[in-house]
Amino acid sequence: MNNNNEENILQVQHLQKKYGDHTVLKDISFNINKGEVMTIIGPSGGGKSTMLRCINLLEEPSNGKILFHGENILDPHFNRNTFRSKVGMVFQQFNLFNNKNVLQNCMIGQEMVLGRSKEEAKKVAIENLQKVGMDPFLTAKPQQLSGGQQQRVAIARAISMDPEVLLFDEPTSALDPEMVGEVLNTMQLLAKTGLTMVIVTHEMGFARDVSDQVVFMSDGVITEQGTPQQIFNDPQEEKTKKFLRNFRNNEL
Amino acid sequence: MKSKIRWFSALLALILSLVIGFSFNSNQTQAAKKEAPLKIGMEANYPPYNWTQTTDKNGAVPIDGSKQYANGYDVQIAKIIGKKLHRKVVVEKTEWDGLLPALTSGKIDLIIAGMSPTAERRKAINFSKPYRKSTFVVITSRNGKFAQAKGLNDFKGAKLTAQQGTLHYDLIKQLHGAKREPAMRSFSAMRQSLQSGTIDGYVAEDIEYKSYKTVNPNIVAVNLNKMQGFKVDHDDSITSIGVKKGNTELLNQVNSILNGISNKKRDQLMADAVKEQPQAGGNKKENWFMSIMHRYGSMILGGVGMTLLLALVGTIVGFFIGLLVGIVRTIPTPKSAGKKWGLKIVDWILAVYIEVFRGTPMMVQAAVIYYGIAQLWHLNLNRTVAALVIVSINTGAYLAEVIRGGINATPKGQFEAASAIGMTHSQQMWHIILPQAIRNCLPSITNEFIVNIKDTSVLSIISVSELFFVGTTVASQTFQFFQTYFIISMIYLILTFSITRIFNFIEKKLEGPKNYNLMANQLQVEDPKETGFEHEQ
Repeated sequence: MNNNNEENILQVQHLQKKYGDHTVLKDISFNINKGEVMTIIGPSGGGKSTMLRCINLLEEPSNGKILFHGENILDPHFNRNTFRSKVGMVFQQFNLFNNKNVLQNCMIGQEMVLGRSKEEAKKVAIENLQKVGMDPFLTAKPQQLSGGQQQRVAIARAISMDPEVLLFDEPTSALDPEMVGEVLNTMQLLAKTGLTMVIVTHEMGFARDVSDQVVFMSDGVITEQGTPQQIFNDPQEEKTKKFLRNFRNNEL
Repeated sequence: MKSKIRWFSALLALILSLVIGFSFNSNQTQAAKKEAPLKIGMEANYPPYNWTQTTDKNGAVPIDGSKQYANGYDVQIAKIIGKKLHRKVVVEKTEWDGLLPALTSGKIDLIIAGMSPTAERRKAINFSKPYRKSTFVVITSRNGKFAQAKGLNDFKGAKLTAQQGTLHYDLIKQLHGAKREPAMRSFSAMRQSLQSGTIDGYVAEDIEYKSYKTVNPNIVAVNLNKMQGFKVDHDDSITSIGVKKGNTELLNQVNSILNGISNKKRDQLMADAVKEQPQAGGNKKENWFMSIMHRYGSMILGGVGMTLLLALVGTIVGFFIGLLVGIVRTIPTPKSAGKKWGLKIVDWILAVYIEVFRGTPMMVQAAVIYYGIAQLWHLNLNRTVAALVIVSINTGAYLAEVIRGGINATPKGQFEAASAIGMTHSQQMWHIILPQAIRNCLPSITNEFIVNIKDTSVLSIISVSELFFVGTTVASQTFQFFQTYFIISMIYLILTFSITRIFNFIEKKLEGPKNYNLMANQLQVEDPKETGFEHEQ
């Protein structure tokens, strides 16, 4: 058990989320190991995004525990801002800071939260913008970029914080089809660096190719969980089979 | 960022120096002599008792807080009293309704304003022995129906009025069958109404008739005192000097000085005042615009300066108040119970502040604050400073809601993205949310500035000599109402128009350039390079 814990970077235990009487997440438990890529798939309204947002506390869980390196982040004395700086997030709607240009977007978190010097922050930001291919756009404002470009900058902003875990909340859902590829490519490269990633996505081909672990969620519970091989080629549950049937023809 | 701070501090320094400059102007005159000056309250708008002029000719006395002078029968009486008391006379130009509160709150030492010691007024202040006895008349046009009236019943159907808050207005009730029109604020307004025919006449004292006749020969006075059955209290047919209750020493001094002024001397002073009072129209053949600008140009310019100062400082200080309140009101509910309650209480206080200052007219706020502070705490606020404070907190209440709206209208994703990288609430606010919220609020802030330029005119209630107040003074002296107010309205229009342009320009600047420079060859941008990532493990 102890040996296992050292590997586990993030453990979710009996997580519950209610909005009034409406229970969105019923009883979610799973572990993520360091360096693992986990994708969460499932029908819309199944609680995937809510679960992801609970992990970095954009939503307050109603019940259960979330352990980060074995420490419960829901403990009142836990430093949430430090935790958040170690767990990055990429949003469906990009959410770049509209009043900052591309370079400033990638620098501000480093300066404010990590306390890096301006020079260092700039160096790291430019390195990461190079990785996502957005370094020629340093002075552009978010409104001047396409959706795909904005999402790549958002990824650069997140990795500039040197996070231990990176969360992706349907990062390609708001993009035009021709821009999906550039973002998925970027993520695929990122996965190879050994960064721990939790990805909510509807891109089944991508999920199959990059994941170490796939979680199928519906109706607020984890219906099925396993390797991409198990989930995509040999699903056990009826719900999983039905869901994947819709994708099989086009994508897999 | 740094350049922004420098900009702000330069602006603040400018405003500060303006404020100090303005308040110094009035302070210096006070600091110049050893004995405390004798502050006399009057309208300086009621010739021949008192009026405003731009020079010190005919023995005029400076008006506190301006570059103008007051003169008239009241001023001459005040000078005699001041001389005997060895105190320099300073006139505090005050609206009629503001005279009593100004005296009770200690802003002035004496009211010498052609005021009758009615029983009602005696409840609030003490009065000296009379310094003028008067006869009541109805002033009407020479060719009018009522010019030949002989008795109290001869005014059937006459539309009559009198000055607001005076005994004259009550006297109309004794004229059976006369229609009592709404009371007017000043004699100049009544003269104008009589001339334009909206009223048939107005009740006043014979001295008003004498003075008006010099500028308009087409009027007659119907003497009321001689009519049978006309009743008027002795107190009401005299004018006395108002002294604060409890200040018996000053009252006795004033009474003994008045005793020393003979009736002959009084009549002479009144005759001089009637002769010297401002005349309608110049003798020179200038057109009306040139003649107003020539005689009152510098006065109007001062009014423009004061209006701009009030609007500018009010809007900027109000903006910072609004910013602070807006920020506090959007702090998310804290976890710990103590902080939660603390925030709730602060929130409640701020809500009350906003409701009170948005829910009451600025004119009323000005009167309450200016006179209230003086009466309760005996703090004599400088008029200009009081006006600045009032405009600022009033604007702050409005802008607090504008900025709260701007903060709430900023997309939720901006907050989420900022908290997701670990920024604290205040970091999010200062670096991400407020820059966007303020830019979105800028049209509303411009709006508030323009409203301030116009609405500071209500501060005439505490006699701040801003543009409208100056306009009223000029109009009452030139009797060119339409012309004067036309010039004033044009000036307001020019001010608001140019300010709108300036703010539109600032808005454009803040938006930043529409294009950006590519830092490298665009061809390389199409796809991220595979070699770009290094393996971390």
